[in-house]
Amino acid sequence: MKARDLMVQVDALLKADDELKEYIEKIRIVRSKAETQGARALPVLDASGIPIGVLSMKDILKAIYPPYMYSTDLSLFTWDGMLESLAKNISGKRVSEIMSSPVITVKGDHSLMECVDHMLKHGISTIAVVDPTGRLTGMIYECQLFFAIAEALTGGKGNRK
Amino acid sequence: MSFATASMNPQAAFWTATAIFILAYALIISEKIHKTIIALTGAALMIVLGIVTQEEAFSSVELGVDWNVIFLLFSMMVIINIMRPTGIFEYIAIRSAKFAKGRPFMIMAVFSVVTAVLSAFLDNVTTVLLIAPVTLLICQALELDVVPFLITEALASNIGGTATLIGDPPNIMIASRAQLDFMAFIYNLAPVVIIILAAYVITLRFIFGSRMTVKKELRRRVMAMDEKEAIKDPVLIRKALIVLGLTMTGFVLHGMLHMEPATIALAGAATLLLVSRIKEPHHIFSEVEWTSLFFFVGLFIIIGGVVKVGLITWMSVKVLEITQGNLFATSMVVMWFSAFASAFIDNIPYVATMNPLIIDMAKQLWPSLQGTALLHHPDLMPLWWSLALGACLGGNGTAIGASANVIVVGMAEKMGSPISFKRFMLYGMPLMIESVIISMIYVWLRYYVLNI
Repeated sequence: MKARDLMVQVDALLKADDELKEYIEKIRIVRSKAETQGARALPVLDASGIPIGVLSMKDILKAIYPPYMYSTDLSLFTWDGMLESLAKNISGKRVSEIMSSPVITVKGDHSLMECVDHMLKHGISTIAVVDPTGRLTGMIYECQLFFAIAEALTGGKGNRK
Repeated sequence: MSFATASMNPQAAFWTATAIFILAYALIISEKIHKTIIALTGAALMIVLGIVTQEEAFSSVELGVDWNVIFLLFSMMVIINIMRPTGIFEYIAIRSAKFAKGRPFMIMAVFSVVTAVLSAFLDNVTTVLLIAPVTLLICQALELDVVPFLITEALASNIGGTATLIGDPPNIMIASRAQLDFMAFIYNLAPVVIIILAAYVITLRFIFGSRMTVKKELRRRVMAMDEKEAIKDPVLIRKALIVLGLTMTGFVLHGMLHMEPATIALAGAATLLLVSRIKEPHHIFSEVEWTSLFFFVGLFIIIGGVVKVGLITWMSVKVLEITQGNLFATSMVVMWFSAFASAFIDNIPYVATMNPLIIDMAKQLWPSLQGTALLHHPDLMPLWWSLALGACLGGNGTAIGASANVIVVGMAEKMGSPISFKRFMLYGMPLMIESVIISMIYVWLRYYVLNI
């Protein structure tokens, strides 16, 4: 199986200057569909349809996370309401300010193992599949790869469809 | 034996070494290439071109790498790397914020004093890296602007670092070259640093005292923090504090024990490594700031080159001509020049150049003297202290004057409230000038009026 056989079509796309609430609305819709239920990220495209970034739920967590907490263990000194007030701080941000970029892409005829390699080495759970001109053709999420592995593992009996 | 020595006459050697020196310093100031790369390239050139031999560069006390400085810095880095994950510094910072009862100006004052005291015994950058994250958390809990807190902490760490031999790299370098011991620094610099710190806190009170207010319910957030929860490894903390205490005692006594400070520090680091029961010390060593250490190595070799060819002697003759041998005037010029030079350029290459220059001046003033009789000539001592005060305190002048300043500017930017060069200078420059004026009065009173 190749990347194009596993990828899913995502019609909820983001633009760089979209507001964050755009993502929040669209990811809800995407997750309501059977084939993208586990999706946590949406691709961000430029005007010509080339993916320039991916915005995931983890990016939202990172956006509210104070940078000084990375270097020191201060988790026990946080307070009730801290998350809510930090969340208010990012309400005016644009997608381009917090998305992960550059986006990791594969071509449609690349192998699934390459996708696994990218996910583990880059610590991501979303890969954009692009055509030879670099335009987005579909997305591969961690859950699609999981189901492909599950199917191989159970000899097809675990098929979700 | 290098191929170049045979062919290069003294004149050519002089100009070659001078060119390497000027070019290296110009590139360091321009920040176009990383300073460690420049220093090592300059050092390699000095050896390859035969200005100094490899033996001189690696093992000569007069012309080579000052291993006393390298091992002292390295050992203190190892001790800190072991102590950092124990939570002791978070404990101290949260304890301080609660001691200040969550009142904003009190927090600023207490954090400044705590930062200054820690900086006197630890590296300034490390102190700021340990205290600033907690400060930022407290500021967010109290919904305060983080910028004044970050700037005042960096300034306090530079002030505190001035007080002791191990507080700031310029002092380590001066101590090694001038053969001054830990207690000499405490005796001569700590009193004025305490005065400067008091004046600093009083000045902060005028600037910020009435500007910051915090609602009671926000203060409750800080008071609810339990600093004991910060402690991750109480056993290691106890061991580390004992070893640190012994190391400090060693520093106090090193003059009497006839041991170099680096020996004491190395013994401390080795002991802590041994008793901390760390199975795999790899991460302790990999977190040592090798880039800074090799910056020192490179600089020492470059300076060795210009000392050998006589550039430093020529410079010292010029300085004496200008000041006409008046040592009071010289020490005042050294202090102010050092302060402004350190505000804009790295004070480490500056002090690395000034050390041999002062020694050379002494040689010309008292040609019959040698060793500590020369280095510790009563008329020369104020010059060493003026250099230390100017070079350490001068770093407060601008955002790039000291590494601690660069660190807080970076942190503020990541927090989304960037500090402009101008804004830092607005606080830093007047406070730096205040501290140098106090130092000037102190040096004049103590060494030229009271003679104590």
